[in-house]
Amino acid sequence: MDKFHSIVNEIYEMFKDYKVSKSEIERRLKLLVFEFKVPEEEARRTIINGLRRDLNISKEALRFPLTKISELEPGKWVSVKAKVIQLWDSTSPSIAQWGIVGDETGTARFVIWTKSSKGKVEEGKNYLFEKVIVDEFGGVKSIKVTSLSEIKDIDEEIEVSEEGGEVEAIGALVSISQNSGLIQICKLCGRFTKAGICKEHGKVEGVEVLRLRGVLDDGEKMFEIEMDENCIRSLTGLDLNAAKKMAFENLDRSIVLLELKRKLLGRYFRVFGELKFRTINVKRAEFFRPKILEEVEKTLEEVKNW
Amino acid sequence: MVRLKREIAKRVFAKEFNASRFKIGGNVEKETVYIFTPLGLKCNRVFIVGALLEKEEVRPDADIWRIRIADPTGSFLGFVGKFDPDARESLAEIDIPSTVAVAAKAKLLEKSGKSIPFIRPESINLSDFETRDYWILETAKATLKRIELMKVDSEISRIAKEKYNPNLEEYKEMVIHALQRLKEEAKVVEEGLEEVEDSIEEEVLDINDLY
Ligand SMILES: [Zn+2]
Repeated sequence: MDKFHSIVNEIYEMFKDYKVSKSEIERRLKLLVFEFKVPEEEARRTIINGLRRDLNISKEALRFPLTKISELEPGKWVSVKAKVIQLWDSTSPSIAQWGIVGDETGTARFVIWTKSSKGKVEEGKNYLFEKVIVDEFGGVKSIKVTSLSEIKDIDEEIEVSEEGGEVEAIGALVSISQNSGLIQICKLCGRFTKAGICKEHGKVEGVEVLRLRGVLDDGEKMFEIEMDENCIRSLTGLDLNAAKKMAFENLDRSIVLLELKRKLLGRYFRVFGELKFRTINVKRAEFFRPKILEEVEKTLEEVKNW
Repeated sequence: MVRLKREIAKRVFAKEFNASRFKIGGNVEKETVYIFTPLGLKCNRVFIVGALLEKEEVRPDADIWRIRIADPTGSFLGFVGKFDPDARESLAEIDIPSTVAVAAKAKLLEKSGKSIPFIRPESINLSDFETRDYWILETAKATLKRIELMKVDSEISRIAKEKYNPNLEEYKEMVIHALQRLKEEAKVVEEGLEEVEDSIEEEVLDINDLY
């Protein structure tokens, strides 16, 4: 790419969230470089300053560009407009608040450090998180609110996308929803149907599936999880055919739900899957059986040094 | 898109839970009610893995069962009835003593000047020693975090100090004791029997108190 176009692209990237078109940048650059014969670097600075002035953007805002959640990169300082989807209880003196935020491109965790002394956010409200740093842990991106950052209420309803990304979670399965087990779903939309009625499509042809919806909870945070037949089979040995047979022999499909509850409720699991909104679509699950002795010794050691 | 917020199932040892005397919330209709423990934990729901030591039908007319579930620090008092059909159904199949995993609502019974914390299980499932040991570790760590939080000035720690003035050393010792026993692979269950504090007056217990 020649110098001219690389400057156009650079400026475009800087201002793309402010709806500045490439042709507008090109027009300004051409004018300065080719007509006024201004050196390229000088032209670049002039255009950036001009746009900042025209659009009323602070210098800081450019250093912390407004970024969509799907485009967050670890280590970068950014600003993010997002809705607080979920708040978890603080589990450490250094954390004032933490949870999940989302925008139309995805979701991420957020942490507000106690030291930052920033105001409290509320679930379901929309905010502009300014000058936050992006971090990543276990494939999950998070934004950190430090004392440099600002959190501003915004008068704007942010639509949250269901796209999430790969996550791993460990916790106890504390609840299994009644819409689990051997159930019928709508052929058209996949919704749970009760007595052959879909909320959306009315009376429909049902498809039988084996499914589990539940809540995985580690005492600090929780995820709704959904497991399909493969997952359920890997954990319980039960597949769709066996479930159908079971229901048939007992003349009752709720026997399958009972069986899932008996085998899985109250157990600890490690699950891997796709986070969509706040549900993990589990691809792989296993009973969580950690070797705890080492951890016990480590914790004892730490307490003794208090 | 407003969804009802589900409450996280907190990890708390029986000793801390049973020392609770206050509630938070519930002032406005439908506002969530939390039990407020001496270490500043707000819990509306708990998850426990321990030894089911007692199950006794206290109100045959109403089908209400009293249960006790022990952990290394004491035992949880609980009530199971047809208001929680899943728990009621599985309790019928479980013998005592057994290791069980329980998801429960945390409740505080306030009667004649007394406050008695108890649980109302939503589900009860047979569990095993391995799971129980992990629960003890998890709960020990959660408790240690709360002790640390108590040393930091915050609204919660201020209220907890004002209401309970808890002896943090004592709670720390409790955790160390629980972990040490894990380490020694002691059979927590057998010793957990040494008896429980405030045993409850059945007569003062009204069914409505359980809701
Ligand atoms: Zn449908």
